[in-house]
Amino acid sequence: MREKIPIWRIKYLPRNLTEICGRTELTKRLLNIVAEQNFPHLLFVGPEGIGKTTIATLFSKAFLGKYFTSNFQKVYADIPLTSEELKQARSDAYVPTNKIGSLAGKKITTPAFIQIKIKPFIELRALGDVPFKILIVKNFEALGSNQQAFRRLMEIYGKNCRMILITTKVSAIIDPIISRCQIFLISPPNYGDFKDEVQKIVDKEAIEIEEENIKLLYKVSEGKIADAIDLLQIASISGQIIDIEMLYQSLMTSKTNLVRNLLLLCLQGDFQKARELSRKIQSNYKYSSQELFNLFQKEVFQLPLSRYARSHIINIIADADFRAVDGMDTDIQISNLIAKLCDFAEVL
Amino acid sequence: MNNVSDRPWVEKYRPNSIKEMAIPQAKVSGHKVSLDEELRSFILTFFKEIKALNEENKKIRSYNRTVEEKKQKKESNLPSDKAAVLLEGPPGVGKTSIVYALANDLNMEVIETNASDTRTRDALELKLKETVKSRGIMDFIVQSKNKLILIDEVDGIYGVTDRGAVPSILDLIETTQFPVIMCSNEYKRNLQPLYNKVTKFEINPLSKEEILKIVKRILKNEKIENLDLNDLNFIIDKNNGDLRGIINDLQGICQGGLEEDNKELISQLHRDNTEEIFSLIRELFQDARTLQQARKITDKSDVDYNFLYKWVNENLPTFIRKNNELMIAYENLSMADEIFGRIRKNQYWSLLPYFYDLFSGGVVLARKQHPENEGFRRINFPRFTSTGFFSLTIVERSFVEKVKDKYDVSEVEIIQKLLPFLRKLTSDSRKYLKLVSDWLDLDAKEKKLLKK
Repeated sequence: MREKIPIWRIKYLPRNLTEICGRTELTKRLLNIVAEQNFPHLLFVGPEGIGKTTIATLFSKAFLGKYFTSNFQKVYADIPLTSEELKQARSDAYVPTNKIGSLAGKKITTPAFIQIKIKPFIELRALGDVPFKILIVKNFEALGSNQQAFRRLMEIYGKNCRMILITTKVSAIIDPIISRCQIFLISPPNYGDFKDEVQKIVDKEAIEIEEENIKLLYKVSEGKIADAIDLLQIASISGQIIDIEMLYQSLMTSKTNLVRNLLLLCLQGDFQKARELSRKIQSNYKYSSQELFNLFQKEVFQLPLSRYARSHIINIIADADFRAVDGMDTDIQISNLIAKLCDFAEVL
Repeated sequence: MNNVSDRPWVEKYRPNSIKEMAIPQAKVSGHKVSLDEELRSFILTFFKEIKALNEENKKIRSYNRTVEEKKQKKESNLPSDKAAVLLEGPPGVGKTSIVYALANDLNMEVIETNASDTRTRDALELKLKETVKSRGIMDFIVQSKNKLILIDEVDGIYGVTDRGAVPSILDLIETTQFPVIMCSNEYKRNLQPLYNKVTKFEINPLSKEEILKIVKRILKNEKIENLDLNDLNFIIDKNNGDLRGIINDLQGICQGGLEEDNKELISQLHRDNTEEIFSLIRELFQDARTLQQARKITDKSDVDYNFLYKWVNENLPTFIRKNNELMIAYENLSMADEIFGRIRKNQYWSLLPYFYDLFSGGVVLARKQHPENEGFRRINFPRFTSTGFFSLTIVERSFVEKVKDKYDVSEVEIIQKLLPFLRKLTSDSRKYLKLVSDWLDLDAKEKKLLKK
């Protein structure tokens, strides 16, 4: 069954805690918790794409055993509610007068997101022979001011449900939440574990790669094993033996590269082409303006620029991002950024 | 024809009595109430209580005349929630109509002030207070009509021109001799002192069935038969519960002449004014040389400005080609966009003039030299809209659902990470295209998504 999956990143997804690449200290701790059958709310912190959610899900699976499906939920804090969900939240917000209780005829002021996505799950007790349910909230920092609502929820419903909050930016999380959680810092696997994992896949897929190139792979993928597997698979299309050139070729088409191309077009002063590319990136990748500005900002450091130029470009990006906060039309703000970069290119 | 038919239908069919009109549903702090009953009892109890109060105050006054100043009693006022109510609801549901119909039923006179009047403290006092406090000379001779004060469009009170209006309305409510009814379309923060003092009725739009009944009655009365139900539904849906808008549209269609094809007239009601925008944009970029000219061009058109500035954004690079001019143009346009966002978010309408000048003049005047003969430039439709939110097309949605069955990650990750990877993978190898699409069970449209 598993052998037939054509996408390696899914094919080699770990199936339980022991299969996780590296990070043995962490998995040992988690397995201890499973044996004890009790844990406080957890906060997983670590860079993007290194497997925090995978670890959390596998841990929940191990913890809940056969009662997993009915006692587990994963919520993405960064995905906004759909219009139907918002509508329902609005209609739910009024407690009709025919209901009995002190709330009858009043309006509930819980944020819509929590009302719809969180409360229905955590209000009910766990089913089956497990101490409590597990709720995973991904990208918790995206909740912003709604985090405040979590403080009480974590206390009131802590008996029913333990939460695993997952975030990349611990600084964006308010102190009261941090104080209610046990923090797990999750880091990418070290090179030794990474090499073993890659070697395992290489053996199974009957391809060859030199140790030197695994090192390179580790470097370009920043230790993110899933990204590294993607690169391996693309590189493997053109041949059994994987060398540097292939790796670079497969790297060139990744998303950050599109943004780099966009930045280069801007610095060549070609407004028309740059705007076209930016629109293509927006519609293909569905980036919000903020995400796009952030990618821009990261790319500035990769380009060979003078100190002055770098700081000036950062200034331009910051200004555009700042305006987009209040602006209505993100395309205008992005075009503004491109126009200013094109203009600056003539000074360079 | 007699002059009755010249009147707008909205006025012609404004209900004269409560019995004639469709009463919209209303709520007071979440409870459903019957609007006409509540208003009627509000008016009647007001007069009863104000009469008792006046008797009381008369006694106090005569007492005060005889005693020294220190011991004088204060005259009392009616509690404000008994003196005034607020009707809040969308435009065209019948807020003003119900007040007039009720006044007519109770044989009262309505004194109205609306957003067209200046409502500074002085102006309001002049218009209202005299009628409120004193009675005319004629009142002693003839039994005059009782009066009702209607402050329409209170949410239109803002800015410098209406400074002091809210306190003076509050003052009026304290001392009034007549019941006060206020109408408003939406919640406004600067009206919070008013909201605190009075009972607020939240009025819902009329149901479609009720609207249809009224519309049919009007059509019967006007002897119009060639509008079928589909057309009516179309007009009703378009106006979204606004009965006034619906009647206006109907009149527009029917008075154009009954022989003509109705469908065409209906479609003309929201005719596509793309052509108009095309020439407007051209004129703006090619002819405007000063800020005044640019403003004149945008002023004379009835194109929605919140639409127009997107056209300017789309077509800006076709007219302005130099990078330094583009930079200045976009500096102004993005500032205009930011201002517009602030206006929409915080109701800072006083910023609107800047928005106007920046997106029209500010943009086109970035061009320092106009070529003698620029020739014909193609105008593009602003087809690219970035919603700012993460929204998927139908095909993308079904693709995401299929992937989710097999690989449990978020939609964002699928679109931003997995999909580009699959594109790369399948574009390099036909074998993988087949493997992936078989594994995910993709149909033709979803396969296309991979080829993009």
